[in-house]
Amino acid sequence: MYDIVIIGAGIAGLTAAIYGCRANKKVLVLEGKVYGGQIINTFEIENWPGGYKISGVDLMKKIYGQATDLGAEVEFDEVLKIVDHGDYKEIVCEDEKYQAKTVILATGTDPRKLSEKQAKDAGKRAISYCATCDGALFKNKPVVVVGSGNTAKHEIKYLENIASKVYHIHHDDPIPEDAVAIFVAIGRIPGTDFVRDFVKLDSEGYVVAGEDCKTSRDGVFVAGDCRTKDTRQLVTAAADGAVAAEMAIKYLNK
Amino acid sequence: MIELIDFYADWCGPCQMMKPVLEDFEAKHPEVKVTKVNVDDEEELAERYNVSGIPCLVLLNDGKEVARNVGAISVKKLEKMIGV
Repeated sequence: MYDIVIIGAGIAGLTAAIYGCRANKKVLVLEGKVYGGQIINTFEIENWPGGYKISGVDLMKKIYGQATDLGAEVEFDEVLKIVDHGDYKEIVCEDEKYQAKTVILATGTDPRKLSEKQAKDAGKRAISYCATCDGALFKNKPVVVVGSGNTAKHEIKYLENIASKVYHIHHDDPIPEDAVAIFVAIGRIPGTDFVRDFVKLDSEGYVVAGEDCKTSRDGVFVAGDCRTKDTRQLVTAAADGAVAAEMAIKYLNK
Repeated sequence: MIELIDFYADWCGPCQMMKPVLEDFEAKHPEVKVTKVNVDDEEELAERYNVSGIPCLVLLNDGKEVARNVGAISVKKLEKMIGV
């Protein structure tokens, strides 16, 4: 039985793990893919105080090392659902089941996928959600960016230095026939589908909670980008991790 | 022979995060030959395998592609993909 099980090993989850361990609690972090979260796609971070121009990978390696050094356990297993047994919760994963007195949801967000119509249009062409990750694979080839927000503009600017042509379309436009790759930048969606019947979500799927990070369910807290909030930044995700852990600790010591 | 090709680039964050995963995998499964291919150095090879996003893991059985995964994954998922 763990005191705190944290779902998601991005900055929010790993910061919560650091705080939990420092309060002498038994902490497990569950991650479905690799640790690090969204920030590992960023080459140079300019707004992390004390780590000017650090890479996302380097920052997350440090934080991961800090959390595990302080005693956090990490398992790479995808969570399917959580069952509330009153004084403890059962976290059901693909391979194992875990028990915890408190749970912190820190699953972040994932890129929104292409509409069915555009996906059909795309056929067997490459679909990417990150120009800085995959752009270089399409040197001197025509590509298209889908989306109308700031991210889309940023992707276009980046790709213009690499591709032979960069088309720009919106989320319901037909995809140009000669584009060999489709870069999708139509927003992000929270990774909360597995808790939709477990805690209250807003209409977009974010876990409803205030700055105290308390969800609609006793003993379940939320931290980082998957929480309802206005500002989704690295530092605010870390701050959430600290608050959620403190709230969990308070709940445990009650 | 079962072979796993890891298409990666130095500037790709998720590829760097896959490094310890693949090292862990190689230590556990010496029967699978793991080959690393830098897509910047070997553009032709990446093109031949139609690599459209990285990290891209391509599983070959006697030289024939039997499975592939684009994006970072855990050791467990990798083992499931390969069936070991």
